[in-house]
Amino acid sequence: MVSEPLLNAVKVTKSFGALRAVDQVNLQVYPGSITSVIGPNGAGKTTLFNLLCNFISPDQGEVFLAGEPIHRLPPHRIARRGMVRTFQVARVLSRLTVLDNMRLGAQGQTGENFWCTWYQGRAISRQERQLRDQAMAILESVGLAAMADTYAGALSGGQRKLLEIARALMSEPKLLLLDEPAAGVNPRLIEQICEYITALNRQGLTFLIIEHNMDLIMSLSDQVWVLAEGRNLVEGTPAQVQTNHQVLEAYLGC
Amino acid sequence: MTGYLVFVTTSTAILALFSLGLNLQWGFTGLVNFGHVGFMILGAYATVLLSLQGVPLVLATGAGVLLGVLLALVMGLTTLRLREDYLAIVTLGIAETLRLVVLNEQWLTQGSFGVQGFALPFAGEDYKLLLMWLCLGVLGVVFWGLERLVRSPWGRVLKAIREDEEVVKALGKNVFWYKLQALMLGGGIAALSGAFFAWQETSIYPEDFQPQQTFDAWTVVILGGGGKNLGTVLGAVIFWAYTSLTRFVLPNLVPLDDARLGALRIMIIGLLIMVLIRWRPQGILGKKGELTLGK
Ligand SMILES: Nc1ncnc2c1ncn2[C@@H]1O[C@H](COP(=O)(O)OP(=O)(O)OP(=O)(O)O)[C@@H](O)[C@H]1O
Ligand SMILES: [Mg+2]
Repeated sequence: MVSEPLLNAVKVTKSFGALRAVDQVNLQVYPGSITSVIGPNGAGKTTLFNLLCNFISPDQGEVFLAGEPIHRLPPHRIARRGMVRTFQVARVLSRLTVLDNMRLGAQGQTGENFWCTWYQGRAISRQERQLRDQAMAILESVGLAAMADTYAGALSGGQRKLLEIARALMSEPKLLLLDEPAAGVNPRLIEQICEYITALNRQGLTFLIIEHNMDLIMSLSDQVWVLAEGRNLVEGTPAQVQTNHQVLEAYLGC
Repeated sequence: MTGYLVFVTTSTAILALFSLGLNLQWGFTGLVNFGHVGFMILGAYATVLLSLQGVPLVLATGAGVLLGVLLALVMGLTTLRLREDYLAIVTLGIAETLRLVVLNEQWLTQGSFGVQGFALPFAGEDYKLLLMWLCLGVLGVVFWGLERLVRSPWGRVLKAIREDEEVVKALGKNVFWYKLQALMLGGGIAALSGAFFAWQETSIYPEDFQPQQTFDAWTVVILGGGGKNLGTVLGAVIFWAYTSLTRFVLPNLVPLDDARLGALRIMIIGLLIMVLIRWRPQGILGKKGELTLGK
């Protein structure tokens, strides 16, 4: 590809004690693509996500978003620059309603400033209504609209995964990092999620996805990166990766 | 009797104010503050010492509140980036340290002799009654302000932090700064309650500010159900109703001296809280549904 990578990780390394969970890993995500990271359990995929978003700071290595270094920025600043992540085990804000979970995702809210809550009442209620509409539209498309006013803690595991993706979308990201979006979701819903991801991707949203579901990976991805034991194994198009003997070995042990 | 009613109402309002600060910190934001009384010490002593120096009462009170806010800032800056139990330990330590400073720095505070004869907001026969109305008025204003805040998007961020701060970080909010704000605002409110405490007592002593004050506030907040401002006010009402009732009723029932009776009253409160947490953990005003939610 000719364009600059949107996300570029260079030799990122993290050890937990003696364990090198992520060892000199490189990764590039090109704008407009759907890029996947696969690898056996414990390969370091989730840890890599944590490093990219600086939820855990890397021992070594650099991360660039749209050409700018982000590995020293605190996580919330990285999110504000348009790279938003979800969690492998969906984390919802239990005692907030589904709608409030959604509204929390929105960036640049006037009402989140302490002083503004006192004298910008009008502007804030207008924004809240606007966010409600925006949230309802997204909830509609993931089939959670009917649950808008229930506590998020009452959702099932699969619904939580959907809410997490929906909430991340409220922040209008440029790059969305999904950690196993299809885990624990029923097959029909997985299909829906796939369609949804494709649709969003057509609208210009870039994805970086960790997944174990091979059907999903192969049908969605433009580029696949394979990790094993904390290292880059291979990378390529789904077709290339699928037939690579190293990958088969790492995954199937044959 | 009216005199006692006025006393109880004033005390309830002050306790409610004090506890509302803790409710903002713990009930809404999830910050474990075991040194809430530290803010009260600062508020009370700063107000009376400054007014003794001739500083107008409003300014002296403002300075007390500001000191409370600054204390929260220091506590927060030093501990909020660490694991959450550090805040609990540090707040407890700082509050005790402050009490000991007040006890020992006699040149400033007259130590255990206490401070008396400072300026009061009103004068004359109706002092207690007027003070009661002032307390209720201030409580009303603070309550209104807090309700407005916790219903705003700002409050939504606090509640979200209480639920899971990693999520809030991932969504681009500066979690540290919001925690700091909650701690400072709660500290300021507690410092304000300290000024009222001083005016009600008309003299203050270091031993007025034992850790027990903090735990009374915890009792009140838990009674009402954390994260409910109305619950906290109700908790304060119940607390004082209980205190006054047992003060009159218990001496007639059990043949114990005053000190032991005091201990017994606290024991019963502890027992009640255990029962409450077992049978109605969401507090009196809390919704049962919230508790059965999976994390
Ligand atoms: N906070 C931590 N402390 C210590 N070890 C950790 C920590 N986080 C991850 N690890 C270890 O790092 C390795 C990589 O874990 P990681 O969660 O990144 O794997 P993964 O590729 O996401 O696996 P899965 O597919 O099962 O989700 C594992 O061996 C794990 O035990
Ligand atoms: Mg993982």
